Amino acid sequence: MASKNRTIGDHVGALLSGYIDGELTQQEGQRVELHCDACADCRQELGDLRALRDDVGNARLSEMGEDVWREKMDDTTVRVSRGIGWLLFIGGILIAAGMAIYEFIIDSSIEPWVKFLFAAIYGGLALLFLSVLRQRLLERKTDKYRDVEI
Amino acid sequence: MRQELAQLGGGAHALAIQLLGNADDAADAVHDAFETALSRPDAYDAAKGPLKPWFLRVVRNRCFDMLRRRRDSDVPVDSLIDSCATPDEALDTAQRACAINQALARIATEKREIVVLRDYLDLSYAEIADVLRIAPGTVMSRLHRARLALKEALNTDGK
Repeated sequence: MASKNRTIGDHVGALLSGYIDGELTQQEGQRVELHCDACADCRQELGDLRALRDDVGNARLSEMGEDVWREKMDDTTVRVSRGIGWLLFIGGILIAAGMAIYEFIIDSSIEPWVKFLFAAIYGGLALLFLSVLRQRLLERKTDKYRDVEI
Repeated sequence: MRQELAQLGGGAHALAIQLLGNADDAADAVHDAFETALSRPDAYDAAKGPLKPWFLRVVRNRCFDMLRRRRDSDVPVDSLIDSCATPDEALDTAQRACAINQALARIATEKREIVVLRDYLDLSYAEIADVLRIAPGTVMSRLHRARLALKEALNTDGK
């Protein structure tokens, strides 16, 4: 009986889905209607598929509404403006530091060994800073609990 | 565009949950997609179609990027199953919605995805083909197979 039902159901097969979705041509739609008039199994299948479609449509698959997403988008704006702010700040610092270093290097009144000493101190500090910064950034990227508020 | 995107957020989140199996990861994927859409508004060409399928495709691509990084394309089934069998949810509709969630979790990701795109997000077949990057002629048969699988999963759950 089951195999017989399957055979009858296959007469229109996927057209049943196309029919309930309103995606068939007029001719195909009429074919489904005629078939379902004569075939109780396909009629039943059509009803089941309609109910299934309505159930999925009424299911609550996400708990996050429009307001939540609007807030999240505002967060995006804040993040972008903050990013631009940091970019300008760091860019300014780098330009100022570059100019200061250039002035320091071309200043003939300072002894070369003094220049070397200061270059070693500030260069070492810069390397240490970059090393710590890199580590922090890596941690931040891989820490799955970073957004957890305590 | 912001207003439209905010309206699409819930549906996009639902799709991302089905792909990633996790509501938090799904929220991240949708948020990333928002950033992409807002930072490059020129990427969307209104002449080529509505915003909804375009944005869902961006979300879907983001989900696949996350899955690739996870190196695990199979969504853990249990993570999709909502623990919704609470005594408070005695209403038939709520129970039915729970059953749908559980049955969706038991079918393959590509089937889940196409059912959600059509029946939950109400996309046309042409839009589904656009989101999934498949031939429009294959949507109906794929969707039908997915619905039959979902129906079977529902019946299995009901027994």
